[in-house]
Amino acid sequence: MKSWSLALSVLLAATPLWADAPVAKIQSMLARPKVLCGHFNQIKQLTGLKKPMASNGRFCVVAERGVLWRTLQPFPNTVRLTRDEIVQLQGDRVAMRLDAKQEPAVRMINSVLFALLAGDLGQIEKWFLVDGGIHDNGWSVTLKAREPALAKAISSVVLEGDAYVKNITISETSGDRTSIVFSKIHTGDTAMNVDEAALF
Amino acid sequence: MSQRNVFVWIWALVVCLLLAHNVYLWFGKRIAPDTDILALLPVEERDPVLRQAFTRMVDSAQQRLIVLVGADDWAQARDAANAYADVLAQHPALLQAADPMTDPRDWLALFQPHRLALLTSKAEEDLHSQPKQYWTDTALAKLYSPFAGLQPGAWRDDPFGLFGRWIQARAQETPVRPRDGRLFVSDGQRQYAVMPFTLRVPAFSIAAQQAVMPLLEQARQAARKAVPQAQVVTAGVILYAAAAGDQARAEVSIIGFGSILGIIVLMWITFHSLKPIALIMLSICVGCLAALSVCWLLFERVHLLTLVFGASLIGGAQDYGTYFLCNRIAPDAQPFDSWQLLRRLFPALVLTLVTTVIGYLGLALTPFPGLRQMAVFSALGLIFAWLTVVFWFPMLVRAGTLESTPVAQWWAISLERWPSLRLDRSSLWAIGLFVVLAIFGVSRLGVQDDIRLLQNPPKNLIDDQTKLSRLLDTPTPAQFYIVRGNTAEVVLQREEMLKQRLDLLIETRIISGYHALSNWVPSAQAQAARRNLIDRTLLNDNGPLKALAAQIGENGEWVAATRAHLLASALPLTPDDFLKTPAGEPWRHLWLGEVDGGWASIVALRGLTPTGLAKLQHADIGLDGVQWVDKVGEISLLLGRYRKTMGWVVLFSYLVVYVLLYPRYRSVTWRVLAPTALASIATLALLGMAGQNLQLFHVLALMLLLGVGVDYGIFLHEDLSRRDPVGWLAVGLSALSTLLSFGLLSLSKTPALQAFGLTMLIGTIAVWLIVPCFRNHRSPELGRA
Repeated sequence: MKSWSLALSVLLAATPLWADAPVAKIQSMLARPKVLCGHFNQIKQLTGLKKPMASNGRFCVVAERGVLWRTLQPFPNTVRLTRDEIVQLQGDRVAMRLDAKQEPAVRMINSVLFALLAGDLGQIEKWFLVDGGIHDNGWSVTLKAREPALAKAISSVVLEGDAYVKNITISETSGDRTSIVFSKIHTGDTAMNVDEAALF
Repeated sequence: MSQRNVFVWIWALVVCLLLAHNVYLWFGKRIAPDTDILALLPVEERDPVLRQAFTRMVDSAQQRLIVLVGADDWAQARDAANAYADVLAQHPALLQAADPMTDPRDWLALFQPHRLALLTSKAEEDLHSQPKQYWTDTALAKLYSPFAGLQPGAWRDDPFGLFGRWIQARAQETPVRPRDGRLFVSDGQRQYAVMPFTLRVPAFSIAAQQAVMPLLEQARQAARKAVPQAQVVTAGVILYAAAAGDQARAEVSIIGFGSILGIIVLMWITFHSLKPIALIMLSICVGCLAALSVCWLLFERVHLLTLVFGASLIGGAQDYGTYFLCNRIAPDAQPFDSWQLLRRLFPALVLTLVTTVIGYLGLALTPFPGLRQMAVFSALGLIFAWLTVVFWFPMLVRAGTLESTPVAQWWAISLERWPSLRLDRSSLWAIGLFVVLAIFGVSRLGVQDDIRLLQNPPKNLIDDQTKLSRLLDTPTPAQFYIVRGNTAEVVLQREEMLKQRLDLLIETRIISGYHALSNWVPSAQAQAARRNLIDRTLLNDNGPLKALAAQIGENGEWVAATRAHLLASALPLTPDDFLKTPAGEPWRHLWLGEVDGGWASIVALRGLTPTGLAKLQHADIGLDGVQWVDKVGEISLLLGRYRKTMGWVVLFSYLVVYVLLYPRYRSVTWRVLAPTALASIATLALLGMAGQNLQLFHVLALMLLLGVGVDYGIFLHEDLSRRDPVGWLAVGLSALSTLLSFGLLSLSKTPALQAFGLTMLIGTIAVWLIVPCFRNHRSPELGRA
């Protein structure tokens, strides 16, 4: 009985913050630049591996274009997601290419990832149940996949940010877990460096 | 009781039995004509494996209805689809929404214990050819990728991404993907919700069609109401069956009522009396009742197309009655009573019946069950109409019952003014002109043996079907490979060999892919080989796994543990394991299992184009136990072969009929037969000039034309022997009703029946016009037939 009332009071206390259409509020906080590039630090905790695997690199999110994800350390690897394909480059070699004509899911995957990195909660809500709210000078949401198939693979995604997305934590049902921290974010025409412009 | 009365009463008994049987069939048993289009096609009798393969491919489609609801964006498509499905959901006894195909990720549980042996052929090739570095790079890229969650399972279950590639390849066997609890497909512009339904009532039942079709229309309107620009695409055997049924029913009524009405009008004009009309209708009715009864007893089913064709029987069945009645009003017949008259007419009546039945025999000689049924139906109808004339007419029509009318007399006399062939200038000119035109016309005839002759579904159905096949990239149900072997394992191994060849066809874009059980369940041999290959290439002491461990700071213990973990997931997978699961459900039709002492399976092809098909037909795959099956091509070949064979049968039939007629007509036999022969040539020439392509059904109609046309020759030559032109009246009445029946048949939307009707139409007109030209002006001595 006691724990019930406690849970209830916590819930009631929390409700005003969350129920207040957080999506619209968060949307209004986001800068939504046309081009956004920055640095990332990623830590993966994989089942069967003792040590967490750390990597870092640069990323770009370009509206109406897609996502460029360049791992620089410790193992150079580039993934480019555009409307019609996903390409993975190892150096200059194309290690994998997935065409939207072959795999219809490509477009969906790309728009999901684009929305996640851009923090476009309006889009994200199409695929995920959004739960979360605003605190101090930022926001934080927990996403659960609506699609049962996706929910079977990904147990949750947590996004945190202010004008931009700052942290993403992806927990997979397999036990693997990825957390990414973004920093040194630049926007506008000069955000992309020469290498990146050439790759995109 | 006199002998005649015995016949009259026996026949009355027969007719009562027929009537009772028909009442029982229609009202007791409530029979419904068959609408199965495939019932027209020959069954594969020799090879049980082929027969079962074809049945499987057909059955897997028969009770299925696939609906695509499309709109410009997915949300609209989904709303419209929901509105559509809601309507159908209220009738679970008719249609049931089939379980949407499971997502690739749902297969995981099933395949996880076997994943090490599940490789794409490209991955297998890579294992043979790629260096160690390639595999460590692949594993590291996967290890550091933030998008790894989109691949199945944990990293350590599939560090080199081989199983992921296999799952991807399996998912790509169909472009349909789950989305928001529905299935989804897109052509780049429109988004479609895919809804498979299972029909809970037989697709070929007319009652089922009448219940389901309005429901589908209602659902379509609901979808349109929800989203006005929604596009609904439907495909299913029931749609074809319903369309064919509607068309055939409409045609039966048009031909049936049209012919009967025509005959009534003709009889009234000629005899000005209701009695002949009633008599002719009586003979036609007995013919039709008997045709249906006996046909049902013989085949235990009657196809709707048989009834369409059978409706043209009305025009033929009245011939004998008309002939008798015309002769009854002839002035020189007045001294005889009707039984004496019948005795006089009997030889001619026998000959006309025999020749017409020979005509229908042509149809019965083909291996198409539908055509055989039509032939038997028509021949029975004629025989019973004939028997009714012979047994009952003399009793019902006495001398003086009927009187000649001015129209009848005028008609009979008009023969005097008809031109006839003599050895003179104008006749030679006419013959010369005929020969030139005949050669010109016949030389322009092309040939056409397409299966579409047998069936011509409405264009919107074909468009929908084409669109759906393109969107869903479904394999063709009529062309596929059959793979056989002594054991299931041999079949799978042979499938794998065949697939190596097919991969080359994919590279050259002749096909876009294939469906085979071995895509899902490799042969035990392949599974073992792949397990060894991976162990040898990736997991050995000095291989990529060890190198990988060094890169990520793990030790030898980790290598051993990971190797053990991976090898543990290499349990053998068998076809039975797979087919028992829901994931195996969509592929069950491919596995024929144990048939006829061996094992067999189907390998179906996707994205086969007509040009690709032509290449495949001529390329012998040259593998043991692998057979190419092309049902469409096979039937076209068959139609072509029978077109040629039946051409010879027609010629041979002329010989047979000549021999049959000779004992009675002696030196003028050629005059009886020539008009029909010339009319046939004229018909072919006209068809050629009209740009028609010769097909089996033209040739079959020529066969029947022989039967019908010779009747006119007989009527006229019997008659001239008595110097009384009532035969010409009989010819006119017969020809007009035949023209009406087959003319109406030529309006049929089934190309085969249309060709048949058109040939009969042209042919009958030609015989009618030509027959008096060959009349003999000297009275011949008739032999006794």
